[in-house]
Amino acid sequence: MKRSSPTLLALAILAFLPLGLSAREVPKSALQNYVPWEDETVHTFENLLVQQDGRVKPLYTVARFTLLQFSGKSKVSFQTQDGETHSIHYAAWLLDVLFRGQIAKDLPVFIVDDSAAVVQIGVSPKSKRDRYSYNELVVGRAKLAELGAQYAEKQDMYEKSEKRDAQYELDRIEGMILTLGRNISSFEYLVGQFGFARQGEMLVNENILPQELTELAKKLDTVEMLDKMPEMTLEQLVQTIRQQPGDSEDERTFTGALRLFFFHANSARGLNLFPPQQKDNEVWVSGGDALLAGLASKEVRPWAAGQLASIRTLVLAQKEGEAAFHEALKAFSTKQNAIADERGEGKYSEMEITLYRGKWFSYSLYCFVVAFVVMAFSWLTPASRVGGILILIASLLALLGFFLDAYGITLRSIIRQRPPITNLYDTVLFITGTAVLLGLLIEYFTRVGIGTLVAVVSGVLGMFLAMKYEAKEATDTITQLVAVLDTNFWLATHVTIINIGYAAGLVAAIIGIIYLSGRFVMMLMGKTNKEFFQVLTRMNYGVICFCLFFSLVGTVLGGIWANYSWGRFWGWDPKENGALMICLWTLVILHGRMGGMIRDLGIHMNSIILAMIVTFSWWGVNNLGVGLHSYGFTEGVWGALYGSWAVLGVFMLMGVVVWFRERGAKASRDNLATPKSAVTA
Amino acid sequence: MAKAPIDWSPANWPRLLYRFFTSFKLATVVLILMTVVTLLGTLGQVDNGLHAAKVKYFHSFVFTEKVFGIPLILPGGLLLMIVLFVNMTLGALVKVRKRWKGAGLLISHFGMLMLLAGGFITWAFSTDGYMALYPGMSTNRVESYREWQLEVLPLSKEGVAEKAWIYPAEYLDTMHSDEQRVIKAESLPFDVVINGYSKNATPIPVSAPMAAGVTGKELDGYKLSPQKPSKEAEQNLPGCFVEFRPRDGSAPIEAILWAGSYRFDPRENPMPFTFTVGDQLYGALLVKKSWTVPFTVRLDEFIFERHPGVMTARNYESRVTRFEDSQPDKPLEIKMNEPMRHAGYTFFQESFGPSGSQPGDEMFSQFAVANNPADQWPLWALIINGIGLGIHFVIMLVNFTVRSRNKKLSPAALS
Repeated sequence: MKRSSPTLLALAILAFLPLGLSAREVPKSALQNYVPWEDETVHTFENLLVQQDGRVKPLYTVARFTLLQFSGKSKVSFQTQDGETHSIHYAAWLLDVLFRGQIAKDLPVFIVDDSAAVVQIGVSPKSKRDRYSYNELVVGRAKLAELGAQYAEKQDMYEKSEKRDAQYELDRIEGMILTLGRNISSFEYLVGQFGFARQGEMLVNENILPQELTELAKKLDTVEMLDKMPEMTLEQLVQTIRQQPGDSEDERTFTGALRLFFFHANSARGLNLFPPQQKDNEVWVSGGDALLAGLASKEVRPWAAGQLASIRTLVLAQKEGEAAFHEALKAFSTKQNAIADERGEGKYSEMEITLYRGKWFSYSLYCFVVAFVVMAFSWLTPASRVGGILILIASLLALLGFFLDAYGITLRSIIRQRPPITNLYDTVLFITGTAVLLGLLIEYFTRVGIGTLVAVVSGVLGMFLAMKYEAKEATDTITQLVAVLDTNFWLATHVTIINIGYAAGLVAAIIGIIYLSGRFVMMLMGKTNKEFFQVLTRMNYGVICFCLFFSLVGTVLGGIWANYSWGRFWGWDPKENGALMICLWTLVILHGRMGGMIRDLGIHMNSIILAMIVTFSWWGVNNLGVGLHSYGFTEGVWGALYGSWAVLGVFMLMGVVVWFRERGAKASRDNLATPKSAVTA
Repeated sequence: MAKAPIDWSPANWPRLLYRFFTSFKLATVVLILMTVVTLLGTLGQVDNGLHAAKVKYFHSFVFTEKVFGIPLILPGGLLLMIVLFVNMTLGALVKVRKRWKGAGLLISHFGMLMLLAGGFITWAFSTDGYMALYPGMSTNRVESYREWQLEVLPLSKEGVAEKAWIYPAEYLDTMHSDEQRVIKAESLPFDVVINGYSKNATPIPVSAPMAAGVTGKELDGYKLSPQKPSKEAEQNLPGCFVEFRPRDGSAPIEAILWAGSYRFDPRENPMPFTFTVGDQLYGALLVKKSWTVPFTVRLDEFIFERHPGVMTARNYESRVTRFEDSQPDKPLEIKMNEPMRHAGYTFFQESFGPSGSQPGDEMFSQFAVANNPADQWPLWALIINGIGLGIHFVIMLVNFTVRSRNKKLSPAALS
């Protein structure tokens, strides 16, 4: 029996599937062995609160995105010298960084995509793409700082130059060096964060301080020193330490102490762990802020010293052993949470941990992948009872994937107390969910397996995109809103509706792709299946109408919002134009169809153009660098867009070939049908 | 079956025109061209900025665009929207067969027409400008974002002007850098000669190295260096040479007028170039075009909040009092997404300044002030459109579902 085209496709997919599952080698660490933290300790630690990017969040989130930024992964895997392989979670890794800096410095967390980058800073390369520890890179630290500064300046000139002058554009390796330099610097800040509490134990930047200061650091307790300092502002402190000290020992010691104080205050910036003293003040402070606030005012000193002492207690307890450390950590956490509760902050931090720990979006992706495989199996036995059951299983898996996605979106909405979409990452999750639901609805109405295929393909592509985007950006995706977006009504209406329109536009393209590739394959095989393709056309026509409805209503709602916010309904802003182009192209399709200018093939080919417009509007306009909606600039987007348009172009080309072939066949039929006498006449 | 030949006789022209303007093909072609123009206008903003792109692509009847080095003449947004309006009116409202099944489409086309008409009214009749106030300041004056005019002010000994001679922005904006205009101002004892006008310029001292590359006149050790118009048209600072030629035959007075001497902070007064003709002291300067609203607004308090620990603005809002003849003073609040609408004017919380303000600095609040007769048309159009499309969508969905259910695919079609 001859196999049908879906069967062949299914076999091809199943044959290539294992290729994507090959394992990677675990990087080796210089550590002799590694003692993992107790789960309880990690749990207490990850629940600590910190204020970052304008909101109070669990340290768990900070750990997650910091490690993603350094490593591109949310786990650290390594092999110690004793041959053991370890895989530690990001919260445990941050615990190492803050409290076991010497160990953290040997963990291979810094991803270098091309070893040419480390060669340039004088570090021995490992594999072409590998992860390095801080200690492996530290030999090139000075060169890294020098090149990093140079490339940062170059990048700055590129961004400020008219029309993005190519001479200032960083090449791939330069970009890597710049990123590596920034990551190393961030790491040093984290490791040195509690330096003020370590009494002379310098973990990083030892070479910055002169010998006499490192000696002095061993004798001086910064927290106690705070009590004895004269009141002075940061400016006065900087001015004093710039002056040459007098000849006397006391003067030299005093200036040295001030320099050390400044060094510690500067190193302890960034991790805002302490709720402010005043209830009406919203800004949490770091160890560095507490040191400087205490220095500036004697009134604040008892409070500042209390905060700093609590960190010193943690540092000392860690040296005593994990049990003592855990107790100290619990005490710190209890106190911090009580203050935050009183202030009404960090209410949803546990939910935020649930969101990330639950890996809802990852599981959603797994569901879609499995559903896709099940779908592929269904093509082995098309139009059979087994095939029908497999499609049903795939549909249920897609539905499960949808619910997991929707659950994650709901958690994110509750955490930030906002409607589902507030930034670009949210749009990916939402559009994926909408496209999946749309596919499943189509399946419910048509029961031919295509709706499920649309749902599954949308799910796989969308959730994969979400995962890659999160890893690439490596910044907290639960962001604070700028003033103009501070309206739940418009976020819930305009933003949601316009994104439903985007989803419909993409679904139309997937149906178009199925139609065009199907027609092309059938043409090559010399077969036809008119009935099946007519169903696809009806489906796509409906989806295009759906797309028009939501795009048009969403666009006009956006205009009304703009009229309320900026005083004009329409401003020809790139994002507005993108939405308008979607509306216009759906109207082109519908009017072209009604006017007889396009038929079935035309509808599907135009739905692919529609998808190109949707992707331009969704991602492209953000990267034009102009307009009021110019948010979410993402490096590398143009490359990805061109790639996707090229792929879509291939399907368009298939449509063109089918069209020419059909036209040729029609012309031949017409010639045959015309009597010879008529031709000669 | 062969098509009947078209009757091109003049008597048939109205019918042909009607057929042309009501055709689906015209609608489709216009929609395709609108998509192309929108795309070009979007990409055009990257190099030329929003304002220039709007003027070239969307507010024009035709424009030329180089595609792969070949100049193409394309219809502008304005022309396309007029054609679309005519096509929709005749085709979708007049010619269309009125059936219940098409009721949704009829309604939605009416909504679209309203949207287009609203857009046209806005384009033709609306005005927009801004008002910037520090707390405690009040005014009824609104300034243009982009339009500059030349003012000559007879000044009292205290330097106060009660009236001004104005060379309007509409005229000044049409000037080229190599053009000279002599204006005989009846209310002034001298003629005003403007030349070297540039929409965006910087005066530079002749001693500066970059002055060597600047052609044109030198005055008091300065040259006026024309700059490429800014992408943000609001940031353009025009400049020109002016000459005041007294009609009594005394020596003319020359000056460089530059918009950079204009106040951008509402607390600072503009700095005119001053000169004397006869015994009268005059001031001359380039200022933004301005107009008044029929009430005065005083900023009582400006509330500016940032997200904790970062510079991102979380909220900014203004407490104002509105003063109006024969009306009691009215305290009001203007905030993001909650404008003040009164007497045909709408005040939006637009911005704040000065730029680079740090927490604790005194800040001014800026309102966008719009007067748009079609202000609420889009909302009504949306409601009509939404209803129309909703009805049509439900009809389509029911048809689709019924057809899909009735027309089960044969097993052969699925294999």
